[in-house]
Amino acid sequence: MLNTLIQAFNLITTWEVIIAMLAASVYGLVIGSLPGLSATMATALLVPVTFYLSPIAAIATIVAASSMAIFSGDIPGALLRIPGTPASAAYADEAYAMTRKGEAELALGAGVWFSAVGGIAGTLSLMILAPPLAEIALSFSTFEYFWLALLGLMCATLVARSSPVKAIAGMFLGLLVSCIGIENPGGVPRFTFGVTDLLGGIEPIPALVGVFAVAQVMRAMLTPEPPPIPRRKFGSILAGQWTLTKKYQWQMTRGNIIGIIIGVLPGAGADMAAWVSYAMSKRFSKEPEKFGTGHVEGLVEAGASNNASVASGWVPSLLFGIPGDTIAAIAIGVLYMKGLNPGPTLFTEKASSMYAIYLLFIIANIMMIPLGIVMIRLASYVLRAPRSTVMPVIMLCCAVGSFAIGNNLFGVVTVAAFGVIGYVMEANGYPVAAMVLGIVMGTMVEQAFVTSLIKSDGSILPFFDRPISAILASMAIGAFIWPVAVWLWRRLKPRTAAAATTPR
Amino acid sequence: MRLPDRVTGLFLVGLGAAAAFGGWRLPPVPGQPVGPNVFPLVIGIGLLLCGLAIAFGIGHSFEEEEEIVPYEGGEAPAPRGKLYGLRALLPPALLLLYVFVADRLGFILTAALIVYVTATALGARWKLALPLTVLAPIAIHLIFSKLLRVPLPIGLLPMPW
Repeated sequence: MLNTLIQAFNLITTWEVIIAMLAASVYGLVIGSLPGLSATMATALLVPVTFYLSPIAAIATIVAASSMAIFSGDIPGALLRIPGTPASAAYADEAYAMTRKGEAELALGAGVWFSAVGGIAGTLSLMILAPPLAEIALSFSTFEYFWLALLGLMCATLVARSSPVKAIAGMFLGLLVSCIGIENPGGVPRFTFGVTDLLGGIEPIPALVGVFAVAQVMRAMLTPEPPPIPRRKFGSILAGQWTLTKKYQWQMTRGNIIGIIIGVLPGAGADMAAWVSYAMSKRFSKEPEKFGTGHVEGLVEAGASNNASVASGWVPSLLFGIPGDTIAAIAIGVLYMKGLNPGPTLFTEKASSMYAIYLLFIIANIMMIPLGIVMIRLASYVLRAPRSTVMPVIMLCCAVGSFAIGNNLFGVVTVAAFGVIGYVMEANGYPVAAMVLGIVMGTMVEQAFVTSLIKSDGSILPFFDRPISAILASMAIGAFIWPVAVWLWRRLKPRTAAAATTPR
Repeated sequence: MRLPDRVTGLFLVGLGAAAAFGGWRLPPVPGQPVGPNVFPLVIGIGLLLCGLAIAFGIGHSFEEEEEIVPYEGGEAPAPRGKLYGLRALLPPALLLLYVFVADRLGFILTAALIVYVTATALGARWKLALPLTVLAPIAIHLIFSKLLRVPLPIGLLPMPW
């Protein structure tokens, strides 16, 4: 144990890792703070760069950039009422109201401080949850993996902030995309329409870049430019944060726990965690009437929550290759490329790498405090960068990055196509995250299903009579029946349903 | 680009039916209970059912809450002509342009074209757009070609490094 820890230290204390991490932090802070550029997009555009780094340095860039970007989205939220990333949307109004009251320092300080606390709590959950789960997962067979993958897909639809039917449709679309290519049980070209480039299937990473980056540039074409930020001097950022920590320690802990749970659930990420935690904070607050008028309580809870989910999203990703959120979906792609194939054996065979990941998360969250303060002070300069200079550069990065993934121009076509698909889906209320999950997990679901059926000689009984398999099966089926039941219930009792607020 | 649910739902029905049909026609693997045809069949039928449900407005009641997203910074855009919505297609069109001309024109020229068009479309004045058009492709070329060794097409305008 101590030996592995020392090995892990050696892994991360190389110049390559340190420089990569610092650069990625700055990059994450800048991208996160620019409205319209999300943390997922920041991570997706990093992927081509990670090709040329050692495995640990590659993971370090992703960890640092994603954690920083989630915090940094709070900055324009507080100063302009425009969330920098969707994860800050839940409380941008509240933070802006605080700025108007002259408490911008307190709002931004709470952002950076509770983000760091949340990130560390999430990392602790990763350290505590993952190894014992890995023990259990070692005994998993394809039957369990099938149910687990199905459960993951169902989770994404349950927690989506839109119609569950549309979420399921999005998931099916993703699965359909994963059908393309020759990598299937029969090895026959499937849905390739005679195009040679489609034989290899659709690469998840260009698809993600398209859905999250190109679609965003497309949206920028039609939306007005956000107003410039007024220049201002800030007082002490961290003043008063310790009092807040003591005053709201229960809210903070609850935010951490909710964030961890939502992070672990496949497909649901930081934005969902922030929404749920903010709503929860308001519901259980002693002074709910203050919410919306510039009250810091919701900020504490939601800020702690969204960063906690970033780290805990890695739990299912590392254990099963099931992404906890869209950022983790990208991380999984990078893990595969770096020979750190997700799976329970990762924790026994590559234990030092796992410890290195924990350490990276903790360091990134500690670094967030000083770097975040610098970023807040420089925000009025960074946010002055007009959209018309940022978006063209993003376009170039999309083109070159997707080309670099396979040194193949077909990647650029994929990016363009998925940009359109993502844009149309988002505009019509179809959650993009559900489709992403489908694309990433499709092959896994199909392989687990087909291999299981071959093993059982076509009988579906073993899907239910193995103990863990049965539990997972009932959970997956329950997850499917739940929205149907809610819908029926609402149908039968339209009056009461309208009055009651249904938690989800 | 908000289409009525009926339209997107019916599109999904069509796509699902096509996927199911395409999957059903794939050859099964002899001696194996399930082949490559099962998965697309299941997905296609699933999509079809979802599409039907969406077209008939099932599950729409869950969507109401989404309207409260506080994303109303800035004023509402001035109403423009019908073709204004097509501007959204500019980024993917530029990427496709890159695919077709990058090998002939080379990275620098194609990239400059993309940058200039995107910047002006987003309302940059020429004072901003021109320097960006010159500097951004060179910077990206430096990072990707020199540092990361991505083989970018040289084309008409080779870089001196």
